[in-house]
Amino acid sequence: MKTTKRTWRLAIAALLALGAASARAAGDEEIRIGACQPITGRFAFAGGQLNAGLGDYLAYANEQGLVKGKKLVYIYEDTGYDTERAVATFKKMMAQHSPVIMYGESTGQGKAIAPELNSRYKVLYGSTSFSSELADPKNHPYSFVSGPTYSDQFGILLDYIAKHPKKGKPKVAFFYSDTEFGKDPIPWAKERAKALGIEVVAEIVTKVAAVDVTTEVLSLKKAQPDYVIFQGYVLAPIPEVIRAARDHGVDATFMSTFWSMDKAIIDKLGPDAEGYMGVNPYAYWWDEAPAIAAMRAYNKKVHPEVTYRPNSYIQGWFTGMIYVEAIRRVVAAKKPVTGDTLKDALATIKDWDTGGLTGKVTFVSNKAAVGRVYKANVQKAIFEPASDWIYLK
Amino acid sequence: MRIGDFKESYAADEALFRTPTARAGLAALLAALALFPLVAGEYLVYLANLVGVLAIGALGLNILTGYTGQISLGHAAFMGIGSYAAAVAQTRFGAPFWIAVPAGGLAACAAGAVVGVPSLRIKGLYLAIATLAAQVIFEWIFTNWTGVTGGIRGINVAPASLLGFRFDTDVRTYYLVTAVAALHAYAAANLFRTRIGRAFVAVRDRDLSAELMGVNLFRTKILAFMISSWYAGIAGGLFVYFAKVVTPESFPLTLSIQYLAMIIVGGLGTIQGTLYGTVFVTLVPEALRSLTQVAQKISPEAMSWFHPMKDILFGAMIVGFLVFEPHGLAEIANRIRRFFALWPFPK
Repeated sequence: MKTTKRTWRLAIAALLALGAASARAAGDEEIRIGACQPITGRFAFAGGQLNAGLGDYLAYANEQGLVKGKKLVYIYEDTGYDTERAVATFKKMMAQHSPVIMYGESTGQGKAIAPELNSRYKVLYGSTSFSSELADPKNHPYSFVSGPTYSDQFGILLDYIAKHPKKGKPKVAFFYSDTEFGKDPIPWAKERAKALGIEVVAEIVTKVAAVDVTTEVLSLKKAQPDYVIFQGYVLAPIPEVIRAARDHGVDATFMSTFWSMDKAIIDKLGPDAEGYMGVNPYAYWWDEAPAIAAMRAYNKKVHPEVTYRPNSYIQGWFTGMIYVEAIRRVVAAKKPVTGDTLKDALATIKDWDTGGLTGKVTFVSNKAAVGRVYKANVQKAIFEPASDWIYLK
Repeated sequence: MRIGDFKESYAADEALFRTPTARAGLAALLAALALFPLVAGEYLVYLANLVGVLAIGALGLNILTGYTGQISLGHAAFMGIGSYAAAVAQTRFGAPFWIAVPAGGLAACAAGAVVGVPSLRIKGLYLAIATLAAQVIFEWIFTNWTGVTGGIRGINVAPASLLGFRFDTDVRTYYLVTAVAALHAYAAANLFRTRIGRAFVAVRDRDLSAELMGVNLFRTKILAFMISSWYAGIAGGLFVYFAKVVTPESFPLTLSIQYLAMIIVGGLGTIQGTLYGTVFVTLVPEALRSLTQVAQKISPEAMSWFHPMKDILFGAMIVGFLVFEPHGLAEIANRIRRFFALWPFPK
């Protein structure tokens, strides 16, 4: 029994010491950043990494002293990818911690919180979403997208296709899921294709978890597109479609946007990944860029067990960079750090060099329309750039 | 202890809350509900609104499944119909909320009448599958009838207002939601003291006997579907004003299943149970989440396995209730009440 008592005493002492330590560290002025993260639930494949990326960058910024005289405090909660819970979490965090910056788990949360975000909370709001609906300064003045929207990503791919025709007028098929995620860029993409002289020969809509894709592949075979662009999926059914297309002799290049552009899809496809392409707004873990090297070095120090970070981690990291850049600009202008000054600072970001993590960043309409087309390298099981950074005007 | 409880008139015998204790309990509950937003923070009020909205829907499902014995897996779809009808009424026709919300109820009611038709021929699990079809069909309509539903992006709505008073904060919405929920709970409790309500129960217990006693089976079942859908529609209508946006993704099949979980955990065929069940299913995951927040402070590294743990724990709690108290939370509450009825004397 004696040992138990001693353990307790030790524990209490440790707790007290911790409390004292945190009290001492509170010398710098705190800037609180709250996040509603989809760590469990349907989005869990990315949620944990998004959270780690954002949290790590903010810790890195503190360590490097990127914001002079201020301490960034990161607070996060799991939302289970449920809009109502996410909104509840948002309100709870605002009441408990009154952060000046928030991070949201989904497009749905962005829409549901918008009326109160605009009228009461007035904090800078970034999120996992690339929805074009949130990159709308009129209805969502406090929201921004960490890079290009899905529409922009389609624009980048269509640009690439227009410059790399296979034979005659390029023909493209859109292959998307019947979700908000899947349908978001399609109307704009159709117009854009028309403007670029690209023919949309097929539009195929499926459920997210479609298993049997034979009919869809047969209609692809009939339409004979040069390029097929997937949208609204993560993994399934992309590998199934590509394999079945190969079996049926469909001679097309398959492309995707951000969420289907992680190493995971190459691993899943194996040799079938040959020729697979897509757009990613960011550089990859293995790329030789100063910002990525810094990220790898930080991971090596703090998480020595980590050998790879997916692109969702990089999105979180980059969102952290945007937050810090906005804060730095506000602090440099000697203004108080509030949602309003931060959102105004965001709009001043022009040709910002991110150290190669992405192209030069200019925020127009609360988004940065830049990205790069990558191609799978099956031998190395990585993505390699197929184009330079493409800027969408 | 409760003694000297004599009924001296039929009216007293028929009263919904028959004993002074029950009446005092009700008064205390109403007072607590009225005072709640004054002491609770915004977060708790928001959750209370969510519970209120879902409770109305769950009452509807309990009328259909718990009292009438017709299983439905399409309850979320009816809620969706109510939401869309209310949103369209407000945004297209400029209807105020006191027209838009009942319009949602009526629209769901009409849909319920149609979906209920197969119930005359099929029962049990077969009916569950038929209503599942309704869920899938309506979800598809929400997504694809873009002209009316706004497609995948849905419809944004303005806050409700009454005579210039805007229900634009959570506290104001709370009073609206709570009042409507209380009204519907009261109506549901009274329903089963009428001929219709008793007919529902008769159909549940043995439909053949009910028919022999002169209950028109077809009419009764359709009516159960309609009343149940009305509740779902009203819940949906309020949901729009609560969430300020309606999208097809708000009414997935999992919500229908969550509704079933609420009434099963709470107690099939009890009004109080429905309310307990709604509170349990909505708030316990939230409470577990708060617990993980505490754990997060102590050990940030353990989070990767602690986050999924709360779902497992929640599932285990539901299974535990079903095993140890198949009649649901309502029965546990009743047992506690019975214990205190004669307390401090032994039985």
